[in-house]
Amino acid sequence: MATVTLRINGANRSLEVDGDTPLLWALRDHLKLTGTKFGCGEAYCGACTVFVDGNPVRSCSLPVSQVGNGAITTIEGISGPEAAAVQQAWIARDVPQCGYCQSGQIMSAIALLKAIRKPTDRGIDLAMGGNLCRCATYVRIRAAIHDAARALGG
Amino acid sequence: MSLSRRLVLAGTASLLVPLAAAPLGSQTTAHEITDWILIEPNGEITLGLSQPEVGQGSYTVLPQILAEELDADWRLVKVRFVTGRAAYKIAFKNEPPVQKEGASMSTTTLYGRLRTAGAAAREVLILAAAARWRVAAADCRAEKGFVIHPRGERLAYGALAAEAAELPLNPTPLLKDPSRFTLIGKPVARLDTVAKCTGAAVFGIDVDVPNMLHAALRSVSSFTGAVTEVRNEADVLKMPGVRAVVRLPAVAVANEDPGSQNPGMKHLPRDNAVCVVADHFWQAKRAADALDLVFEVGTQSDLSTSKIDALIEAALDAPNGVAAVETGRPRDILRERQASVIERRFVLPHIAHAPLEPVNATASYEDGAVEVWGPIQAVAACQQAIAAAVGGSADAVKVNVTFLGGSFGRKIVPDYVVQAVIASKAVGRPVKLIRTREEDLRHGIFRVNAGGRFRAVLDDAGYPLAVEARVVGQSLFGATRKSWLDRTPEGAWDESMVDGIYNQSYRLPNFLVETIDTPLPVPVYFMRSVGSTAAVFFWESFISDLANRAGIDQYTYRRNMLSHDPLALRVLDVVAAAAHWTTPPAPGHARGISYNCYVGRGGRFKTYVAQVVELAPDGDRLVLKRVFCAVDPGLVINPNTLTAQIEGGIGFALTTALHSRITFANGVVEQSNFDSYPLLAIDEMPEIVPLILPSDRPPQGFGEVVLAPVAPAIAQALLQATGRRIDVMPLPADAFRR
Repeated sequence: MATVTLRINGANRSLEVDGDTPLLWALRDHLKLTGTKFGCGEAYCGACTVFVDGNPVRSCSLPVSQVGNGAITTIEGISGPEAAAVQQAWIARDVPQCGYCQSGQIMSAIALLKAIRKPTDRGIDLAMGGNLCRCATYVRIRAAIHDAARALGG
Repeated sequence: MSLSRRLVLAGTASLLVPLAAAPLGSQTTAHEITDWILIEPNGEITLGLSQPEVGQGSYTVLPQILAEELDADWRLVKVRFVTGRAAYKIAFKNEPPVQKEGASMSTTTLYGRLRTAGAAAREVLILAAAARWRVAAADCRAEKGFVIHPRGERLAYGALAAEAAELPLNPTPLLKDPSRFTLIGKPVARLDTVAKCTGAAVFGIDVDVPNMLHAALRSVSSFTGAVTEVRNEADVLKMPGVRAVVRLPAVAVANEDPGSQNPGMKHLPRDNAVCVVADHFWQAKRAADALDLVFEVGTQSDLSTSKIDALIEAALDAPNGVAAVETGRPRDILRERQASVIERRFVLPHIAHAPLEPVNATASYEDGAVEVWGPIQAVAACQQAIAAAVGGSADAVKVNVTFLGGSFGRKIVPDYVVQAVIASKAVGRPVKLIRTREEDLRHGIFRVNAGGRFRAVLDDAGYPLAVEARVVGQSLFGATRKSWLDRTPEGAWDESMVDGIYNQSYRLPNFLVETIDTPLPVPVYFMRSVGSTAAVFFWESFISDLANRAGIDQYTYRRNMLSHDPLALRVLDVVAAAAHWTTPPAPGHARGISYNCYVGRGGRFKTYVAQVVELAPDGDRLVLKRVFCAVDPGLVINPNTLTAQIEGGIGFALTTALHSRITFANGVVEQSNFDSYPLLAIDEMPEIVPLILPSDRPPQGFGEVVLAPVAPAIAQALLQATGRRIDVMPLPADAFRR
């Protein structure tokens, strides 16, 4: 066990944790930020997606010892115009069914809209292809991303 | 309510509390009006939810029914999960009532019950107001949380709750005329959406109870194996954070007879898993990975997919099966006209539910008192399994149901909850046990495999004169519910093996349906759409083949065989019209049409479904672009959630149709994560055109009904485009090559 300080959602948080612990479990077990989900542990499903310095990463496969000074943002800490547009669009479309994958879907959608103002369907396929939804809410995910892009003036 | 207002509410607990533990009536300030309705003096209304929210929308749709008859202000409604009363139990097939979500039964069975409860509550609130005003109740009316006096004065429900709670409930209150519905039939927004878009929703895996430890487990690789030794237990106990290593006895669950899920076994193995309990999950998981376990492989360690397929082949070739349906002279006609018999064979594998939230549970065992928290689809089965494992009364087990991160039938089987209870009992503290994805998939409770042999002779017009349909494979009822089997002099048959065939609607003058059970030691359980995904794939593919050989249009062929069934024709005609079926597809494109009437278990409901799929060229492949789906589901409570079930159900069926296959070698499942067991991704999701038909019938079941017609419609499109006859699921990738 070592003391690790992480920059999470704009605040410094110190925790006693084994260095090989994936960021996901540090968030969930140590910091009680349970909006980020465990789906596969191997970066196949995207349920654990968070931002490190604004880039989407699969937190299940990133040991806390490698996070360093990276600024981490979880679903609980998202802000800014893209985040607001995506969450509003998700709610207006009633996207979730079971909802378990949706934190990760929303994080990936925000990252997409930060990178590409007006994504095409193909662009959505490429950016969202690593976020699996067993309920297959993909029709509404796609529509919500287009809605959010429009709201952002893309 | 504006969207920003809804987002702000996410910061408060009001709408978004997890489905909580306390039974109705346990609060001090609220007044219980019925088993389902609590009203606070401040007007806040809590509606009880008996059916777990697995994604299907029960958290919104069932309260919507109560609120309609209650005339509640929907904006002031909260929902809480409730257990422990007879009112929350429903009967499945021939069993006594239990509290369970499954078989697409929730809305169809609770519709009347919830309307009655809501109307009876409205009646006592009006009576309470009329008494205060000293006017006739008949002169008062209710509206959005108020009782209105004939002269316009208003009393809020909150102010009346105490008096209303003392009044006797009318068992047969006057229900609203449907023309006065303000909530039922409206596309009401889901009550759980905001929580699920902000990370606030509490799933089983998110449960946190005081003093809790974490557990991860390793199971024996083969289904019939046992753990005989933990070679490095002392070393594992020295690993960081580790508190205990606990042997977990095999759990016989979801069965009426212990061990019947493993038909080849006389006795369950004693211990078939070991869990490590630690301060944090990662420590537990790392230590579980390090366990050096000695296994005894058990009696079925040679189980393999090739062995299973050989069993299927032998059953398909067997001289006789158990006749489920026999009308006319099918056997004679097929024998007399042997030379012109058209025969097709099909096979499909076991598959896994693979909910995105892996199975997990939190348990507290303290001096015989058991409390559990988690993603639990069947309250009663969970209580019974726990009582069977650790003693005590099933009713005394306190079950806290959270949101379920998908289930599809998997989380009816409470094996993982029992394991958490045993771990808690061993360490004397609450324990949250999470199975890794690998443990979840390799040690799933699978959907059964199936094989089919279909034989027919056609009449002069090209329509079936005689048909013989045989479905073989591991029997779900045989493995889990022997009392659900239908008995005949020749033996027992399992209706789920031939769902959509034994009760099919096409006009067939001479028809034989047979089943053959090929028992396997594979743990199996119900999965969304149960047997219909296999049976309707076989059946509709065979019908497609007959139409193709007869040179008759696929829509026309089905239409002519359903001319006696107006509700069937209606969905078929609507889907064909929407898809412009009579206009030929563009060059290089292909279409398929399919039909199924999903009959609820025990004949409880009938939901009619017809689909048209459109495939378009994309490079050297055909890809699925669009699915038209016409449904007659009876009365629709909420078109928003129903449409979501159409979209998601088709997507779920596409994972099965294109990707899902569990295989076995040396008694072990070969798949372990989403690399070897892929799920549908967004780039494979077609456009969906939902076509919801108005109906005077009460609500029918819906959660499972759109799945089965998907695969045969695609297979038919490929048959029309390429001439290839597809006889397996998942559909081979090379069948989509142009």
